[in-house]
Amino acid sequence: MLLPDHQYVTTNSLKECLRLLAESREKAMVVGGGTDVIFNMRLKLFQPDVAVSIRKLDELQQVEELTNGGLRIGAGARLADLAEHPAINDRYPAFAESVRAVASTHIRNMATLGGNICLHTRCAYTNNSEEWRKGLNSCFKTEGKICHVIQTSSRCLAINNADTPLALIILGAVLTLQSAGGSREVPIAEFYTNDGMDNTVLRPDELLTHITIPPVSDRTAFLKLAPRQGMDFATVAVAARCDGTGEKVSKVSIVVGSISTNPIILHEPSRIVSEQGLGDEAISAAVDSIRDELGPLTNLFSRASYKRQMANVLVRRVLVALRES
Amino acid sequence: MAKHMMTLTVNGDVYELMVSDNQTLLDVIRDTIRLKGTKRGCTTGACGVCCVNNAKGEAVLSCITHALEWDGESITTIEGLEANGELDAIQKAFIEFGAVQCGFCTPGVIMSAKAIVNKYPEPTEEQMNAGLAGVLCRCTGHVKVKEAVRQDHELREAARHAAAK
Ligand SMILES: Cc1cc2nc3c(=O)[nH]c(=O)nc-3n(C[C@H](O)[C@H](O)[C@H](O)COP(=O)(O)OP(=O)(O)OC[C@H]3O[C@@H](n4cnc5c(N)ncnc54)[C@H](O)[C@@H]3O)c2cc1C
Ligand code: FES
Ligand code: FES
Repeated sequence: MLLPDHQYVTTNSLKECLRLLAESREKAMVVGGGTDVIFNMRLKLFQPDVAVSIRKLDELQQVEELTNGGLRIGAGARLADLAEHPAINDRYPAFAESVRAVASTHIRNMATLGGNICLHTRCAYTNNSEEWRKGLNSCFKTEGKICHVIQTSSRCLAINNADTPLALIILGAVLTLQSAGGSREVPIAEFYTNDGMDNTVLRPDELLTHITIPPVSDRTAFLKLAPRQGMDFATVAVAARCDGTGEKVSKVSIVVGSISTNPIILHEPSRIVSEQGLGDEAISAAVDSIRDELGPLTNLFSRASYKRQMANVLVRRVLVALRES
Repeated sequence: MAKHMMTLTVNGDVYELMVSDNQTLLDVIRDTIRLKGTKRGCTTGACGVCCVNNAKGEAVLSCITHALEWDGESITTIEGLEANGELDAIQKAFIEFGAVQCGFCTPGVIMSAKAIVNKYPEPTEEQMNAGLAGVLCRCTGHVKVKEAVRQDHELREAARHAAAK
């Protein structure tokens, strides 16, 4: 019943935390709310030597209202608090929606925004108990050399199943990554890679400390479809943003998640509705155009044909939601 | 495994405990303090039967959090609801409405229900659904549970009036 052996360390200052991460190299793992770290330790998918808790770092739990109308959110802020934060609901309703879409109330009472953004990829084959996995050869995630999803793949095809990054991408959020050596700012749109084993540009010695969202007056929407509405990872989720009013738009962005290793920014449907507006016909044409950009649907917690159809449905709904907002 | 000293307040009682790095809060509640009301189900955050309330009266899952994370904190488990030999209103409501069958999920469901009424004394349908979504009952379902949660407020009011008289 006990977790695998490891050392647990609470850090009391950011500096101490960064020093510890620098010293322990790849052997340490940051614990925000721990809801995913402990889950993966139970499955023996994560076996860190050191678990570094950031829960006592008050500076990572604040939500700061910027003078330009934006917000700067500490990576250690709890999802439950963000879901009810007045400024977040007021300024970024689609982001607030994406926060409420994560897991259950119980989990949001523990989980952090940083943990959701840095959530590891998930796989229908590998995210099972060790006993279950014994029926298969090892894959990239379990020290093997293959991916069960597509055996000929040279990389792990596990999917990014997190909800909040989609809303943060369309809002143009920027992540602050700090290490003992310094700090860098990375737009969240450039944070994810297409390698299921190492799906972000975060280095092992770095900590995500803040998420800055610029002021946004455009219309936005977030929608998620999951097997169970109350608590489940997404089958498909989508976030979208546009300017203008009614059917009139000139700039549209759409991001689809839970389909592949990184969130997919859709270009063709955005181009179509940017040119033709948000009328029914243009929306249908936009939906028809997403197939190529989604690419092959690989890592399936549900049937590929269903998932593809639901991606179409959600893209249509999200564009209608923009039109009506 | 190295052990560390920690302080945890459970149901108002302060415990000084030796806890190892790889114990979860659930392990400490059940195996160290030996309060067996809180149940061990999936141990991966999916079923909710290990639910306890934190110091703010919110529902949290004790199976997916390091015990040492809770050093200096205060929690309430199912054993902490009764006071002076009398059950809490929410517990009475569960009995009255038959919101219990095999009982395995009951501590987790009651602590989730308690968290709902702590925050919303007269919860809406949506607030109840959101508060109960993370805890599963394979016998009773959530219908009778919600009847009990709705009743909690009335029982509490009745008790308040009785005390005022
Ligand atoms: C039953 C269940 C249902 C779930 N449903 C959903 C869902 O619907 N949608 C969803 O998106 N997720 C879901 N999750 C996954 C997880 O609970 C959430 O993603 C949660 O937001 C993770 O946050 P955390 O703080 O608990 O992360 P942790 O478990 O603490 O960390 C997650 C990862 O991020 C890293 N990390 C955490 N904080 C930082 C930081 N500041 N800097 C750098 N790295 C960091 C950790 O090292 C780890 O790799 C679910 C989990 C469970 C158990
Ligand atoms: S035992 Fe904790 S959620 Fe199932
Ligand atoms: S009463 Fe049996 S699981 Fe809920």
